[in-house]
Amino acid sequence: MIDVKHVKKSYGRKRVLKDISFTAEKGEITCLVGVNGSGKTTILNAIMNLTPIQEGNILIDGKQLTKETYERMTYIPDTITMLPSMKIQDAFAFMKEHYHAWNEKRATELLSFFKLEKEEKIQSLSKGNKAKVNMLLGLALDVDYILMDEPFSGIDIFSREQITDVFTSHLIADRGVIITTHEIQDIEHLIDQVVLLDEGVVVRQFYAENVREEEGKSIVDVMREVYRQ
Amino acid sequence: MHIELNKREPVYVQVVRYFKKQIASGALEAGAEIPSRRELANQLKINPNTVQRAYKEMESIGLIQTKGNLPSTVTEDELMIREIRESLLNDAIHSFMATVRSLRMSVDDVIPLLEAREKEEESL
Repeated sequence: MIDVKHVKKSYGRKRVLKDISFTAEKGEITCLVGVNGSGKTTILNAIMNLTPIQEGNILIDGKQLTKETYERMTYIPDTITMLPSMKIQDAFAFMKEHYHAWNEKRATELLSFFKLEKEEKIQSLSKGNKAKVNMLLGLALDVDYILMDEPFSGIDIFSREQITDVFTSHLIADRGVIITTHEIQDIEHLIDQVVLLDEGVVVRQFYAENVREEEGKSIVDVMREVYRQ
Repeated sequence: MHIELNKREPVYVQVVRYFKKQIASGALEAGAEIPSRRELANQLKINPNTVQRAYKEMESIGLIQTKGNLPSTVTEDELMIREIRESLLNDAIHSFMATVRSLRMSVDDVIPLLEAREKEEESL
């Protein structure tokens, strides 16, 4: 379980995270939802210890993040971080060199899942295919937790469909996933838990199936209530 | 396999209803194997935990059974299948009657219309 407890963070005078607490379970997909600027990416950065926090703490399976923990979780940012001149296979080699958790077999499987060729250069890929390679590099690590920043934003509908297919496949099975998004309509049926953010505060956390069952509401209905107040 | 999903109703309930319909209509025969949880999640593009919950629900009411690591199968209990048919038919009649009554019509008024409709569909 990833347990985020009373995290506060400011950039100078600007309080980006005012008081963030939520949990994300292993074997579940947890979705952080909020408009642009609500602190979604900062939260992922804080979980990965890529940015310092002023208050609060973050526990991974009950423990503080250490160097070793990095082999158990991965962060897929919203743009690919490999050099544009690299071929996909060069990116594979890079990952292999830097991560013990790299699983070449799964990487190859993902390559055919996404219908990509390893001789292709990253700079010559379409936006959708770049997003797929970016996702692939994270998913091919044998880790317990995967953090994805806006995996669906700005890509064509078919690439999007292929990426959503990953979520229902064995490629994600039993792992804990946190994704951020500002458009949830297309993935309402894919996620377990929703964390609604507004101006650096968690306004509500709930299981999607529970609000459907107990309140007869869709995720978007709940969002409308929360954000239109 | 495809379900038109409603966003305001628990997905697991919709999956259970789908299986009930398939079993009642005979599209899924008694004793037939059904897809694995992951296969179904993949086909319907829904959360695997939700499928798990639907299968658990269907197991608890005896609609499907799972032995060890084998694929789950549809019940062979004919009485149960008949009951599901009846309950689905009852639901349909209930909502049909509610509409008919709200239009201040009687069953006698609509029987000829139903017969005409049936003929029309047969001729297609």
